[in-house]
Amino acid sequence: MERDIEQLNSALNSVKVLRSNVRRIFDSVSNGLRADHGDDGKENKFITELQEILTTVNTNLRDVEGSVANLTTPGGPFSLGNTTYLSQETTLERQALYGQLVNSYKWTDKIREYSALAGNILAANSFNKSYKTFSTTKRRKTQTSNHNVSPEVIENIITNVDRLFPDITLTTSRPFVANPLIQASLGRVLRGHIAFKGLMIEWVVVKAHGESTDIWTESRYKVFRKVTENCHAAMCHFHSPMMPELAVRSFMHWFHSYQNLFSVPCKRCGNHLHNNLPPTWRDLRTLEPYHEECK
Amino acid sequence: MGAPGTAMDSLSAALKCNIIPNQEYLLQGSVLDQYVEVLLHRLRGLCDNVDSGPESFQDHELCFTLRAANPSPTSIALPLRVRRALDVADAPWQLRYVGQQELGDKSRPTVVRSSIDMACTSTIVEFLTELGCRVDFEYTARGYMFRKGRMKITVSKIFKVGGMPNKPEGLEPISQSYLVELSVLAPSGQDAIAEDMRIFAEQLRPLVQLEKIDYKRLGN
Amino acid sequence: MGVTILHQFPVENRTGPAVIELLTKRIAALGAVQHGQFLVDCETYSSVPQLGHQRTVHVLHNSEQPATVFSLLETGTKTIPLATDGLFDLLMMKMSSFYTSKKQTKAESKGPRFEIGDFCVKLGTVTVSSNFKGILVEVEYRPCIVPQMCWELMKEFLQGFLGSSVLSNPPVYFQNKMNDVYTPIDTIHQYLEHFTIFRKSPAGIRT
Repeated sequence: MERDIEQLNSALNSVKVLRSNVRRIFDSVSNGLRADHGDDGKENKFITELQEILTTVNTNLRDVEGSVANLTTPGGPFSLGNTTYLSQETTLERQALYGQLVNSYKWTDKIREYSALAGNILAANSFNKSYKTFSTTKRRKTQTSNHNVSPEVIENIITNVDRLFPDITLTTSRPFVANPLIQASLGRVLRGHIAFKGLMIEWVVVKAHGESTDIWTESRYKVFRKVTENCHAAMCHFHSPMMPELAVRSFMHWFHSYQNLFSVPCKRCGNHLHNNLPPTWRDLRTLEPYHEECK
Repeated sequence: MGAPGTAMDSLSAALKCNIIPNQEYLLQGSVLDQYVEVLLHRLRGLCDNVDSGPESFQDHELCFTLRAANPSPTSIALPLRVRRALDVADAPWQLRYVGQQELGDKSRPTVVRSSIDMACTSTIVEFLTELGCRVDFEYTARGYMFRKGRMKITVSKIFKVGGMPNKPEGLEPISQSYLVELSVLAPSGQDAIAEDMRIFAEQLRPLVQLEKIDYKRLGN
Repeated sequence: MGVTILHQFPVENRTGPAVIELLTKRIAALGAVQHGQFLVDCETYSSVPQLGHQRTVHVLHNSEQPATVFSLLETGTKTIPLATDGLFDLLMMKMSSFYTSKKQTKAESKGPRFEIGDFCVKLGTVTVSSNFKGILVEVEYRPCIVPQMCWELMKEFLQGFLGSSVLSNPPVYFQNKMNDVYTPIDTIHQYLEHFTIFRKSPAGIRT
């Protein structure tokens, strides 16, 4: 490919040189005898000059032939697919579409390239602290994309989660279609506001029951601010692009363990309070309660 | 931050500054059912809440009196009213004391009566009953509320309470007309508002005549 | 509004200010920061004989809910709570010919108010008609609204700074209410119970 372009370039170059020298012949022929040819034997001088140029042109022509012979012929005509029809577009403002189309193809190519690289690197260095050992090959077929799913699929998952945990009450609102915002009331303990992006949990904030339902302000209580922080950690931990549904279910299962936030002592130190906070951490696997400092 | 004063201290301070709205300026009238639409249309044009439209309400009101068990002619009675919204489930109940109304002379454009108005919890009915109050009468009112500056205008139909107050079809209207009330709750001494009310009432004529109603005269 | 527990701290031959100072030191050592003062007061009105059988209305104010007046009506068989706007006091004045207050019974608890984590601690000096009666410590755990869930946790906190004077069981008031949602009127109930006992006891002796 690289070599092809080089050859093409040199061929184009020799064509350019040829054209410029041919032009010189016509120049000199059209000018005829000039003052700088002097008086003596001016016809001879003119003829010599013409001969010189013709020789150069000859060499140039050989160069062109040589470089063209070096070029590899493309295999048949390029297929542009449906984009060929874009050339038949008559409206002025749409004629630029082809360029944009090509650009977006380039970007898509880049994304593929980078994601393949990132995938390789991440596969080699596992950041996952979990104990999950699942075979990716077996389940890969379930879902390929988790941010572009139909609302019905999400609806199904939410109903499933709702059915799974009787003491979590879910209320769903959809400020943006397909990206639901659910309020998960966990008994009378707390209320989690969970924002989805498709099937992916994108944002969680935990508040007391009486507090505002705004998802961007944090709770006024320290304990819920800490729980929010831990929910973010868990949200990242359970996140799994391959199995988004499982990620949501595991997160909710873990979230459910906060139902005894105020009533159980820390598994490690046995006390309820540490720094005036109850055990705000739940182990990701065993769901056992720990203080932040005791885990 | 200093120590908080007692609630009674701040209340007496508020009383002294005369910032507690404890006077009600009132004009009343009525309009026949068939003309109420015309009046509502008129009010929609005159009042502030034009774009949002009139606010509808449906309230249940219980009128209590606190008086001694064996009343002597000298003993006074304390009238208290409890109102609750039937159409807004979580609104607080309202407790209200309405004093004797002063008609005043001809120069005074409205009735003035003292009034203490407060929101309260739904335990109020049991509280008043156990306090020694007796229910004199009760009714439900359904209609519309308008605002014009500080003035409140209600156009409502009064229904007898029987059986189910929550079922509109089970309600029996008391008359063939709507009650129209124009009122302002203000601290005492702000008589200028009464003049505004007179002017506003003037604009509603002849659809409805808002007047000072003398109940003592009506009773005879 | 979270679960609140009112605890009477034994005075034991000390003066009121000395006990408050001791407790202030303890709570400050735990990292509490003072946030103003608080005041809970209670006025009691009794019905006049013309109204039939004796009834009592307790009218309480809590600086934590400054725009609200709490009333508790005792009929002898039951207690009816009522929360209203501040103007209820005006109405009580209107009722003065039916319900009269005994000035000697005006009780109040006031003192510094601390915040520590999600806890709110109030150290109250109780006076009944200006006579010192004792110390009431109010501890509120604000994120939690069900006593059953946080009693153990609150007990741990209370024992942490009040020592062994804390009972191992929830206060009597909470019986049958452990699983109910806690509301401000519950705090008022607890204050009234304590005030009633304080009123009956001779000055400063109750331990």
